[in-house]
Amino acid sequence: MMKVSLFITCLSDAIYPRVGEAMVRLLAAHGIRLEFPQVQTCCGQPSYNSGYWDETRVAAKTILEAFDDSDFVVCPSGSCTYMIHHYPELFVDEPEWLDKAKRLEAKAYEFTQFLVQVLGITDLGAHFPHKVTYHPSCHGSRLLGVKDEPLALLSNVKGLELVPLPHAEDCCGFGGTFAIKMSDISGAMVTEKVDHVKETQAEVLVGLDMACLMNIAGNLRHRNEPVRVMHLAELLYEGVQTR
Amino acid sequence: MSQPGVMDETVKSRAGLALNDDFLRKAVKFTTERLRNGKKAASEEHGNWEEWRERGRQIRLHTIAHLDYYLNEFVNNARANGVHIHFADTSAEAASIALDIAAHKQATSVVKSKSMVSEEVHLNHVLESAGIEAIETDLGEYIIQLAGEAPSHIVIPAIHKNRYQIAELLSKEAGEVLEPDTTVLAGFVRKKLREKFLEADIGLTGCNFAIAETGSMVLFENEGNARMVSTVPKTQITLMGMERIIPSWADLEVMATLLPRSATGQKLTMYMSGITGPRRSADADGPDEMHIIIVDNGRSLQLGDPEFQELLNCIRCGACLNACPVYRHIGGHAYGGTYSGPIGAVLTPALNGNIEEWNDIASASSLCGACYEACPVKIPLHDMLVYLRRRKVEDGHGNKLETMGMKGFAAVAANSKRFALAIRLGQIGQKAVVRNNGISLKLGPLKGWNTYRVAPSLAKKSFRQQWNSLDQELNQQQHTAMDTSVRERMQQIVRDRGEGGSKHGK
Amino acid sequence: MDDIATKLKRPRQLHAPIHAFRGSPDFWNELEWDEEQRIQAFTDNFVSVGAHIARMSNMEEVAGFIGNKAHELSAKYLIRQNEQALTDLGLEEQLPNVQVSVWNSAPDVDWRARAAEADIGVVMADYATAYTGSVTVLSSPEKGRSVSLLPTVLILIIPLERLHTRLGETLNRFDEAGRAQLPAGIHFISGPSRSSDIENDLTIGVHGPGIVYGLIVG
Repeated sequence: MMKVSLFITCLSDAIYPRVGEAMVRLLAAHGIRLEFPQVQTCCGQPSYNSGYWDETRVAAKTILEAFDDSDFVVCPSGSCTYMIHHYPELFVDEPEWLDKAKRLEAKAYEFTQFLVQVLGITDLGAHFPHKVTYHPSCHGSRLLGVKDEPLALLSNVKGLELVPLPHAEDCCGFGGTFAIKMSDISGAMVTEKVDHVKETQAEVLVGLDMACLMNIAGNLRHRNEPVRVMHLAELLYEGVQTR
Repeated sequence: MSQPGVMDETVKSRAGLALNDDFLRKAVKFTTERLRNGKKAASEEHGNWEEWRERGRQIRLHTIAHLDYYLNEFVNNARANGVHIHFADTSAEAASIALDIAAHKQATSVVKSKSMVSEEVHLNHVLESAGIEAIETDLGEYIIQLAGEAPSHIVIPAIHKNRYQIAELLSKEAGEVLEPDTTVLAGFVRKKLREKFLEADIGLTGCNFAIAETGSMVLFENEGNARMVSTVPKTQITLMGMERIIPSWADLEVMATLLPRSATGQKLTMYMSGITGPRRSADADGPDEMHIIIVDNGRSLQLGDPEFQELLNCIRCGACLNACPVYRHIGGHAYGGTYSGPIGAVLTPALNGNIEEWNDIASASSLCGACYEACPVKIPLHDMLVYLRRRKVEDGHGNKLETMGMKGFAAVAANSKRFALAIRLGQIGQKAVVRNNGISLKLGPLKGWNTYRVAPSLAKKSFRQQWNSLDQELNQQQHTAMDTSVRERMQQIVRDRGEGGSKHGK
Repeated sequence: MDDIATKLKRPRQLHAPIHAFRGSPDFWNELEWDEEQRIQAFTDNFVSVGAHIARMSNMEEVAGFIGNKAHELSAKYLIRQNEQALTDLGLEEQLPNVQVSVWNSAPDVDWRARAAEADIGVVMADYATAYTGSVTVLSSPEKGRSVSLLPTVLILIIPLERLHTRLGETLNRFDEAGRAQLPAGIHFISGPSRSSDIENDLTIGVHGPGIVYGLIVG
């Protein structure tokens, strides 16, 4: 029996549990029971990006421990999945953890990567008759290389009208602690991102990373815009329920 | 001990000024978009861009890795061509060598073509203080020289100025009112600078590339002023960063393919000049005497440093500036150094070797990686920004509040029980400030966030709190079997990984 | 240099290191266009940046073209390189009302000033590249750099047999020739002088010639 584990990410755990739930249910319907190793806390990105690598190692070890004996690890975030690729660098002086890190790198997948590359599934039979626009998160698309998978999945959703987001590749301005430390620059970036979302006149904004979506949703709400913000897993799950 | 609060203000406050300057923001946005689109079109038309990038990267990596050899070759060959070579360890030295040459020639005027290194060493200031007129001849540089400002973009230095401001500046020079029309203004500059070219004692250039095997220097430009300053005056001084070397003319083809497309979307700049020494004795133009000042100024500090050595690959195309969303919003001056944008954010602290003063630039990035994607020689600037941040923390210059916050983070993230507890406490504590599942409070760390957003509230039940019931619910449902082809795919992947027995647990 | 080697944590590199990635990728070096393709590509590129192209069969036609242009532009001063092929154009005879200067043809003349006052500069291309729409000119005692730089109008005569496909074909020659054979100035000209420094508004003819003609001959 293969062990397929869920790397929930701290954001989804604490703020957006429905994303995790959607993933679990969607995969269960395809015969894959995700396991949830409770030991995991956070990938360590917030401290890593700010240069606090000792603190990062503390968090990273929970992830390494959690997935040590998994065959596949699935994660609803491109940036958290990519963070794992920094682990070998972080543990270069700790051979035991370095070994775990290298093995984890090879078996960790962002959600759409898992569906398309591992399972070979691009059509979940979802029906979602709405106007939708898609924001590709920076780490996921540029650094992890997730570009075609989400589009393939979206193209097979019946009734879904995908409107291209102008300047989609532009960063939403989250950047973790950047949004706190350089709040005005971040604010300018997210304002521009939402301006583009409004241009599409889409009902729904879909994405692959709750960090970005939380950021954009926050500005949408601040400006009283009724656009619904969803993770692709949530959209697909809702789509298979309303068949 | 440094004062983190004050330091963090510098980039933030400069950025604040930029964000409030509507014209600047529009101008920067328009320019960077135009250049970005140009690059995209040009690189797509050319095709195989990724292979060219890798080639460019390899050539630069190779050259830097053997810099002692190639720089030595260049120097020997240039000297054999009749060039006077000088070495400057610091910016002060570079400026003073240039000044010495000028004094020796009893020069009263120097015409300059674009040289970022000359800005880096504050050459104009040094020359002017000695009573020598230093005239910028690149149209954009000339404009900002008249305005007394620093460039705001590596390739298009005066984009922060509108035509009315430029007309005003140039009218003052002209002694008559000039219309705010590009052709009129450019026409005036052409005429005015012609006189200067023909009268000047010294021509000063930068250097895009220096070819080691023949001791030649290469200049890329569109206006013709670099050709002017290296042809007309009797003495030529060239300022060159020590890392600007490439081995051969064959390698130049790769650079000539990458640089113009990345900088402005052109196949080639209008002029590309290869200068091999001063004029030959029977030539009737070209400088009688040629000097090249090879500048270190912190570049050699990057050698042998695996995290920053690749910084020396940079060919100064500006593509990272055009790709950077932060730059697009704040423009070049907010970076507070000679070099702006992503390359500047890393180069300035790296060259200065003093992370404390400049580190706040490294904070002005969301680490989106657009710079890395745009760089024609694949410099991992997004990684380098994190290294800079880490070095600052390791040197003990981290922001005290942030350090405390991170320690708190580590304490909570260290084990899942604490983590779960922290979430639980948050769920209870937030009740006081949550309205409609959102938090609008502008207090403490939330102040910046909530100026532009409504923060989300913690979920009533976290995922881990729901897990057991979710898992049990699914256990009670009819189990769907995995599709055999899917199972086989997964098994194959595991096999390919070469993991052997780990499938079956520890 | 020793300092550099120390920083790189190894002894001085004294011999030429093996440069595995020298020059352009192999697939690129195989690109070769036939004559028609080269002419077309060069023309398209040259015209796209605001320069002009004319196709000539022989040098007589070239002479005629230049004569006409000089009249059209009411040129008073023309300067040309001191090359046989240009002498053979007979411009001096054709244009008695134009002062035709021949670069460095006499001592004690300020040739730079002559070039600066010239309305038209006439230059033979040493090489040309179709892929980028560029002309390469080399300096020498008989060929001043100023002739292709200072006049208002530049006429570049491009013998067809000197028009190659790729930039590398010209650049490689300089590697082959070696340091001692190189002239002081090697200039690649791909169109008229230009700038977008004022509000991104393109303007032609900033410092170098604003009007450029490429005459492809043969």
